[in-house]
Amino acid sequence: MYHVVAAIINQFKGELLVMKRIHLVAVFAAASLLVASCGSDDDNATSSVAPAGDTAAPAGDTAAPSDDTTAPSGDTAAPSDDTVALTAGGDITIHMVTHSDDGPFWSVVKRGAEQAAKDLGLTMVWAASNNDPTKQVQLVDAAVAEGASGIASSLPSPDQLVGPLQAAVAAGIPVITLNSGVNDYQDIGALTHVGQTEVIAGNGAGERFNAAGATKIFCGRQEESNVALEERCDGLAETFDGEVISEFVGRDTDQVAQEAAINAALSADPDIDGFMGTGPVIAMSGLRAVQALGLEATVGGFDITPELIDAIEAGDVAFTVDQQQYLQGYIPVLLLFLNITNQNTLGGGLPILTGPGFVTPENAAEVKALVAAGTR
Amino acid sequence: VATTDVNKVSAGMKSTAATGDERLAYLGVFQRLFIRPEIGAAIGAVAIWIFFWAVAAKFGTAGGTSSILDVAATLGIMAVAVSMLMIGGEFDLSSGSNTGAMGILTILLVKETGDLGGAGLSLWIAIPISFIVAMGIGYFNGTMVERTRLPSFIVTLGTFFVLKGAKLGFSKLVVDQIQVGRIDEGDGYEFWRKIFAAEWGRNEHQLAGRDVIYTIGMLGGLALLVLAIYELHFLRRAERSLANAATFGVGVLATVVGNIVLHTTDNMGGNWLGGAVVAIGVLVSLYGLGRWRYEPLGHVGSAKMTPAVLQRIGLAAVSLVLAIVVANAFDSDSTDSLFFPFTEQGLRAVLFVAFVVLTISLLMMAANRARATSPMAKFVVSTLNAAVIAFLAFFIRSQAGAVKFRSELLGVMLVVAVLVLAWALCGMMFAERSGPDRQAERVASRVIPIGLLAIVIGLTVKLLFTTDNEIAAGLAPAKFSMRIVWFIAFAAVATWVLGRTRFGSWTFAVGGNKEAARQVGVPAGRTKTQLFMIVSGAAWLVGMLLAFRLNTIQAGTGDGLEFEYIIAAVVGGTLLTGGYGTAIGGAIGALIMAMSFQGIPSARWNTDWRFVFLGAILLLAVIANRSIRTRAEAARRAESGLPPDPVAVAAIAEVEP
Repeated sequence: MYHVVAAIINQFKGELLVMKRIHLVAVFAAASLLVASCGSDDDNATSSVAPAGDTAAPAGDTAAPSDDTTAPSGDTAAPSDDTVALTAGGDITIHMVTHSDDGPFWSVVKRGAEQAAKDLGLTMVWAASNNDPTKQVQLVDAAVAEGASGIASSLPSPDQLVGPLQAAVAAGIPVITLNSGVNDYQDIGALTHVGQTEVIAGNGAGERFNAAGATKIFCGRQEESNVALEERCDGLAETFDGEVISEFVGRDTDQVAQEAAINAALSADPDIDGFMGTGPVIAMSGLRAVQALGLEATVGGFDITPELIDAIEAGDVAFTVDQQQYLQGYIPVLLLFLNITNQNTLGGGLPILTGPGFVTPENAAEVKALVAAGTR
Repeated sequence: VATTDVNKVSAGMKSTAATGDERLAYLGVFQRLFIRPEIGAAIGAVAIWIFFWAVAAKFGTAGGTSSILDVAATLGIMAVAVSMLMIGGEFDLSSGSNTGAMGILTILLVKETGDLGGAGLSLWIAIPISFIVAMGIGYFNGTMVERTRLPSFIVTLGTFFVLKGAKLGFSKLVVDQIQVGRIDEGDGYEFWRKIFAAEWGRNEHQLAGRDVIYTIGMLGGLALLVLAIYELHFLRRAERSLANAATFGVGVLATVVGNIVLHTTDNMGGNWLGGAVVAIGVLVSLYGLGRWRYEPLGHVGSAKMTPAVLQRIGLAAVSLVLAIVVANAFDSDSTDSLFFPFTEQGLRAVLFVAFVVLTISLLMMAANRARATSPMAKFVVSTLNAAVIAFLAFFIRSQAGAVKFRSELLGVMLVVAVLVLAWALCGMMFAERSGPDRQAERVASRVIPIGLLAIVIGLTVKLLFTTDNEIAAGLAPAKFSMRIVWFIAFAAVATWVLGRTRFGSWTFAVGGNKEAARQVGVPAGRTKTQLFMIVSGAAWLVGMLLAFRLNTIQAGTGDGLEFEYIIAAVVGGTLLTGGYGTAIGGAIGALIMAMSFQGIPSARWNTDWRFVFLGAILLLAVIANRSIRTRAEAARRAESGLPPDPVAVAAIAEVEP
């Protein structure tokens, strides 16, 4: 079979003579293809080699051939997956690679994924990068190298992560993005994205304020340059009937100054009768400012902390937007299992939203118990 | 009392001072004031307060003030401690993180929840334990800096990361959250809450005679300060007549009556009458005081103006016209937003105030130039200045809609106009003193604290109590907490320690030149370690104040705030290089920052811009502090007959070409 490859290489002989290094790589690629095709016991080896040769030769850089060496090996791995599906879920290993810091938010995601693995009888590997993009890239590469059956990954920094995940897809591994990555999951070729879009969450909050009868809302942000927080306020403004003022009012690290700034903003404009905090801590600062001024304003928040739930239970805060991150752990594992075993896809190519869920005085007591149990 | 010897003594002192040590040279009252490190910040604080008071409706009310003081308290306690450490020549980057760490530690010690469980201690034990830990952190920082001789910047950066990590790690370990809450579940909470977070609800406390106490306190305090300035500025006379003292008394009485009229009426006729009585009263009292106590000036010279003076007067006139044009060009009822960051009202106010300040400053400069010609020339220019201020007072009254401009500002500006006039009059009538006078110093050093105390009492009473009228008008609630008391007490004690104790002198010495200090017997290492422990102790105090205020502390609380403390200290006049500064300056710096945090949203500007504001204040403060300091140094050298410091001369030449 070597002469087939050699003939194709000869077509580009002039180029290869000039670039000797590439010649060597191409030969190496061709040789490894040969080994791969010889390893398989059916006779479509020539068909698998020919396209590989096509792509290996004209590509002027070294990366392309090495990619191609993994691609056919993925092809050969695919039939073996089919055989697994026919037997049991026990051999399926799903890697969940996230930028988790193992804080209260991500520990709930982790519990969701663990529960799904237990329910489905498969193995889930939890790989957390603690917000380090370089480490997360390594973890994705490691998952591919270990032959993961499926990868669920968050996408906090698309620039670094899109490439490795595309490689995983190219290697035939089904990928689902979760939590962050709604703008990039289609580029990767992921099955779907499981998470909450900030605009939709803000929309939901706007409806709540409409129901509460507010007419003008101050939307306070706790970080000055975080796009996600601005989108929450923008989403709020989309559905809310009245006016929305969106401003940065001081970081969570200095709650005294944060509360004072909110206090000043609310007292400067007596028309404001609603306060939205784009986080749980700033929501509490807003509540304190409202109480200090003796206002009758509706207060809403984002995400969950014990003190915020207590305030909701007491009726001081009207609601908080909950992105139900337990689902962001559970659902990707479930969907990957169904895809691997039954070739199912869900969502029709659109993202699957886990939020906005709402914690209100009506369900605060139940949610509080679930938070204690670690699933909310 | 040996008043007759004073002139002789002062003359003698002067001759020795002229030839001797520059530190013994005589400084005039204003030079002495301007040599204070915190003077730039104090002037800045007043200017910023007036600025926001003018542009923001809610700024300067009791509620707004309580909010400013609340922010200033936690920031200011740290800024005062950090100022002390910076004077001692070191930094503590762990100070911000330490505040949250102490709060979290205390709460964790009283908690019983979580898999591992907190210690479940009573607050009676937990609070002392966290204080001991804080002292340990300060001791560690200081000892590490001393032993390793590494820059404190690096050592405390390490401590910062350790504390930041420990806060996160222990929070998650014990309660599986990045925040720790419910200090109110601890034993003894009610007692400690009173210590750290008790609140005074202004709306619940009425005092019928509040405004009387306020007015007497403010006027009495101001009068005492004026007296002190006169004592320090003018040459005292040997023989005194009772008739002049009586004139003084009558003038004071007229001023008080005039003010009562001014404050109880809000119509044009009443204001005119009150203003006139106040003006006459102030002039008569100051004239009586001067005739009673000070040596008359014989020769007053002619009112002939030099071209430089006339040029400044001309520019002032142009500026005044522009101010009036600006006030009329904008619609005074408009609430439109023009372009960032101004509403039409805001732009009008800013431009108007800028032109007014320019007009008055130009006239003051003209007066200063005229002083070189003759006392008479200076008097003429100053009288013109007083007339312009009085005119502007009534002009603003006729233009502005808000009550605060109509009555409060009118009264203040008229008093200023009268004081300017009186000062000019006295400058023409009485001789200035040019040498030290111990008895005058003694009078001033007794009168100034009483005067300041009277002003503080007046303001405090006004802030803490309401009246029937205010309640009827439906005032917004305002609460003053124990945090403010802690802040004031801490700043006062720190100022005393730095200024009056041996430890304070050592602090300046080790910050100025550590090796030199060590060689003259100052325990440099111990002093620096103690300074680190003071900062850490302040962080503990702030941690307690936060824990009892918020009930829940975030793991990130305080991280990164160490730079705000350093900014506050620098704005307050403390040098980054050490050896120079005051504790009270840090407190004033914290007040400035708190005012900007409060004033920008109050003025309905986008709060994103507060960083720009903060940066501009920092730069302006540093430049102003530097120029004031070099100028004061140069003045001191000139008086003492030493050759001028070439560095200072070059610096002044840079500032005013």
